[in-house]
Parts: sequence; structure tokens; C-alpha cells
Amino acid sequence: MTRTDRRANGRVAASKGVAFTKSPVLAVNVPNWRSRVVLFILFFAFAALAAKAMWLQGVSSQFLQKQGKSRYERTLELPATRGKITDRNGAVLASSLPVRAVWAIPEDLLNNPPEKIAALARLLEMPELDLRKKLDSDRTFVYLKRQVEMPVIAEIEKLKLEGLDTRKEYKRFYPQGETMTHLVGFTNVEDVGQEGMELFHQKALMGVPGSRRVIKDRLGHIAEDLGMFREPHQGKDLTLSVDSKLQYIAFTSVKNAVEKFNAQAGGAVVLDVHTGEVLAMANYPTYNPNDRKKLTGAQLRNRVITDTFEPGSTIKPITVALGLETKRITPDTVFDVSPGYMTVTGKRIRDTHNYGVRTVGGIIQKSSNIGVVKISQMIPAQEMWELYTKLGYGQAPRFGFPGATAGRVRPWKSWKPIEYANMAFGHGLSVSLLQMARSYMIFARNGDIIPLSFLKVDEEPVGQQVISPKTAAQVRTMLESVVGPEGTASKAQVPGYRVGGKTGTAEKIVNGRYSRTDNIGYFVGIAPMSKPRFVIAVMIDNPRGALRTGGSVAAPTAADLAANALRAANVPPDSSITDIIIPEEPVEESIDDA
Amino acid sequence: MSGKLNAVLALALVGCALSVVNARYQARHLLIELERLQQQSRQLEIDWAQLQLDQSTLGKNERIEQIARASLNMAPLTPARTQYLTEGAK
Repeated sequence: MTRTDRRANGRVAASKGVAFTKSPVLAVNVPNWRSRVVLFILFFAFAALAAKAMWLQGVSSQFLQKQGKSRYERTLELPATRGKITDRNGAVLASSLPVRAVWAIPEDLLNNPPEKIAALARLLEMPELDLRKKLDSDRTFVYLKRQVEMPVIAEIEKLKLEGLDTRKEYKRFYPQGETMTHLVGFTNVEDVGQEGMELFHQKALMGVPGSRRVIKDRLGHIAEDLGMFREPHQGKDLTLSVDSKLQYIAFTSVKNAVEKFNAQAGGAVVLDVHTGEVLAMANYPTYNPNDRKKLTGAQLRNRVITDTFEPGSTIKPITVALGLETKRITPDTVFDVSPGYMTVTGKRIRDTHNYGVRTVGGIIQKSSNIGVVKISQMIPAQEMWELYTKLGYGQAPRFGFPGATAGRVRPWKSWKPIEYANMAFGHGLSVSLLQMARSYMIFARNGDIIPLSFLKVDEEPVGQQVISPKTAAQVRTMLESVVGPEGTASKAQVPGYRVGGKTGTAEKIVNGRYSRTDNIGYFVGIAPMSKPRFVIAVMIDNPRGALRTGGSVAAPTAADLAANALRAANVPPDSSITDIIIPEEPVEESIDDA
Repeated sequence: MSGKLNAVLALALVGCALSVVNARYQARHLLIELERLQQQSRQLEIDWAQLQLDQSTLGKNERIEQIARASLNMAPLTPARTQYLTEGAK
């Protein structure tokens, strides 16, 4: 190696020849504090990092933990369904099933091939034009159709459409449909009760969905349960007092009667004498709760419970019962009801015929207005008012049903003599058909009255005594005579059974005046008489045919209802008479024009 | 002596650690299984509700009466053509 070579590779030579620490380059005189400064800065930086770490780990840990959780935890909804409604035998009357609401992002959905959109429209059962109209929107979320049932959803999902999604919701189904709807009611699209039991028991039936937090793994399995966030609250099931079979019988009877007598509407109610349960409550016209697109007020109206009417002659047994109870009369007390009319403070009260001289039983059997007015004149108004109140007339009903009417009874102090006389045969006060039916409980039972219930009752309620058992039995005998060939309700006879009851006919009040043309016929009855089981009340509103009185429209309807109901309930017959006799020209009560 | 003890403790530690791993694994599997069964129970409940609904729809009195009258030629019972048997009566 030459020197020039060495010089050219001077660095190598230097490193070889001189130790690093002794390198002259390093031998610079730097003040000592400079290294200290560097050291201090480094130390300070580390200290700052440590402090920050401590701050994040110890003091302000919550924020980051929350952020962390939100990246690996998922909140799952725990579904809660609305409770079922069943009848007394467990048949489902209303039940919720999961369905889907179909929604779309219009812009994305329209990117799909047109034939697929046409297929979607077909599946959703809407014209394609309507579907496209819905999609013609700037919004990013459009409901296409709600409450779509699962099989349809499966079909839609097969189309694999872009920009289409579904949301879980529930749909309420009413298998018994129009027969039961006035009792059960219905819910709206949000599963909130709107009518009937669905409305009244909304709180109990309603389900509140809960949620819980979980950690999911890559495959979507739940890896860890982090516990309940909110407990789900399942809706309670509701068992109604109604019996599907009796309800169907009542509904069919009313429906047939409305059609046969060319009436505007009709209603019927069947009560259990022992428990106060409402076994059937039918209305016609009605509607299908599963399809409520064309719903009218007339269809929706529950005439049994929300409508009031003047009870007419059906109240006469009540008037008589008070006379018997206070010992002012006996069943054999005789009244002269001739010549078929009488005047009270200048106003005339009429009977249809001159019934001459009659016993109390005869007055009820022939439904003589004059007879009951004469009985009522023996009783102070206050006592009558007290009885009405005990029977629940004019009192807010205590059974749970939305829109149930209290009826109207004015305070007794304001009754003028003619008004009191009118009330004795059922004018000047108003009640609902259900209230009327309930008050007949005192005759069907042994003089006591029990609360009504729309829910199944487990133990028999304790009654409140209104009249003595003796009076109840006496009135029962009279009621049975009404449903005989000689009475006003001869058409209410039921082959094989002894029944009793009272007819009524009242003119409707139209624009504040009694209508000459529109009237309502009623019948309230008890069956079977030997061992009362049912109280049955029937109302036929505005029959337009030749037959118009309670005895000719409501009584045969009640007979039809009672015959089928007794058979359906396996009640043994208590009469050997299977051929009923209806006279050619049955006695009719008056269509009172008070 | 202390070397041996350390070895034993180390082994025990590894054993415990592995059992923890195993327990976690089992727990996760059981959880997935539980989840699946709960899902199934929900589905069965829905099916049950659907079947109850179908039962009620098919058992509608109106439908029964129609079938009885139209297809089976049945007529309602009347007391006139019913023989009642009373227990104990002669």
C-alpha cells in the first residue's frame, strides 16, 4: 500500500488508528450544562407522558372506557309482546304476531332493475304507480308498507333489492272478527288500544321492550353477556268473561232479527246470574277489526253499553217490586184500570186496551201503564229514587269498559207528579241496555244485586240486598206469566224451558221530541225460571217492518237466543212443554206516547 | 430445595392459567348455546301464538255451523226430539 492510498482512505485509517473517545473531533470544549439541559428535557418529557398516562388510567378513565365500549359492545333489544286476550275457555280473541314494516331509501331502491320493482309492488299489493309515487321523494327514509306479514317478507327478501330494509313490529290479529269486536276492541298500527277491552286494559296488555348489552365476536356470536340494561316487560294476558259460543249465538240472533225486522240496529247482552259476568255482548251492525278501512260510526257504536234509552215498560217490574217490598201492595191487590186512560195533573196516560179490573200480576202481564201509575202513586218519590240508585240507574258504571254510560235519573226533588207517573212506566229517565239487564239480577237472584264484570271471575261476588227473596220470587212469577200465551211476550217462549221477562217499547227521541215513526223494542228476560242461570236483554232499534213493538221484535229474538244459549250451556230443560202456543193476535203493549 | 419449589409453583401456575383459558372457552360456548336456545324458545313462542290463532280462526263458531249445516247436513237439536236421562230417576 502506498502513502497516497492511505491518504485517500484517511477515514479508515483514522478509525483504525485513533480510539473513538480520543478522537480529536470530540475534544470540543462544550460547557457542562448543555448536557444537563438535554437530560432534563428528556426527563421532563417522560414525566409528562407518565402524568398523562396516569390521568387517562386513573382520573378521567370514564370517557375512554365509554368510547372503548361503544366500539365492541352492542345493545340488543329484548322484544316484549302485547298480551293475548282470550275468552273464558281460553280461545284466543286477540293476539300479536311479529310482522315487518318495509321501508326504503328511494334513491337507492330506484337503482334496481324495473322488473324487480314491479315484482316488489306486486308483493306489497299496491299498484306500481303508487309505489313509484312514494319513491319520488327527497327523503332518505320512506315507509312503503307497514304490517307486512312474514311469508311476504320472505318473498321480498328473495328479490335482494338494494336500498330496501325492514323494521320489526307487531300486528294484532282478531280471529273472531266481527262477532266479538265490540267487546274486544282493537289497537292501532302502533299496538295501542283504541276501543273496548284493548283500550281499557291498555296498561296491563302493553309490552315494554327491554335491552341488554353484549360483546359480539367476529362471527356475530355473542361472546359475553354484560347484563341487562333494561328489563323487558311482557304484556299480561287477559281472560275475559265472554263465552265465544254464547257470543256467537247472541250475535247471530241479533243479526237475523235486524235483517228480519228491517231494523236499523240491534244489541243483546247475556249475563251470568251467579257471577255477574258478561257472557255475551253483541251489536249489529258491526265491522271486521282486521280490516278497518271503511269504518262508520254506526258500525263502531256499542249500543248495549254506550247508548242510553228510555226503558219503557221494562221498568214496570221494578216499580211493582218496590210496592211489594214496602208492603203497600200484595200480588193479589186489585186495581181498576178502566176505562183505559187516566189523567195526572191534566195530562192523559193511556193503555192500548181497557183491561178493566186487574191484580198486580195482571198489570204486569198486560203491561198496563195505568196500573203501574196507580201503584207508583202509593210510593213516595224519594223511595223510588233510592231504589233506582241502588240498581245503578244514573250511577257511573263500575265495571271497566270505556265509554260506558251512566244513564240519567234526575234528583227526586225535581220530579213533578206527571213526571213521576211517566217514570213508573219508564219515561223521563234513561239507562243503557246493560244497566237494565243488571237491574233484573234482583229478580233472577234472590233480591240482591252484584257488580258486573267483563273479566273472568274466580269466586262468586257478595251481593247487596235490594229487595227481599220473597218479593223477588213474587215478581219472578209475574215475569213468567208475561211469557205465556196471555202475556205481552208470548213470542219469548222457549220450548222445553220456563222463561220469564218483560217487554218494552219506547219511541225514540229525535231532535228533543218523541218520534211517531221511530221506536225501539226491548226484552229483558231470565232463563230458566226454575234455577235462573242467565239474564238476557235484547234491543232492536227502529224496526221498519210491520212488527214494531218489543213483544213482536225483541221477544222472539230473545227466545231464539235463550233456546240456543241454554242448549249450548247444557242447561237441563225444566219444562215438558215443547210445543209453544203463540196466540193469533198476541197482546201488545202500547207504543207509549207520554 | 427452593429451586424445586419454584418449579412446582411454576407448573401449578401454568396449569391454572390453562384451566382459566379452558373455562373461558367453555363459558363462551355455553353462552352461544344458551343464546341459540333462547332464540329457539322465542321462535317457538311465536309459533305457539300463531297456532293458537289458527285454532281460534278455524274453530270459529260461524265456520263450524256452516260446515255442519252445508257439508254434514246437520240440524240444531230441539228439546222436542231429545230424550233426557236423569240420574236416579225411574
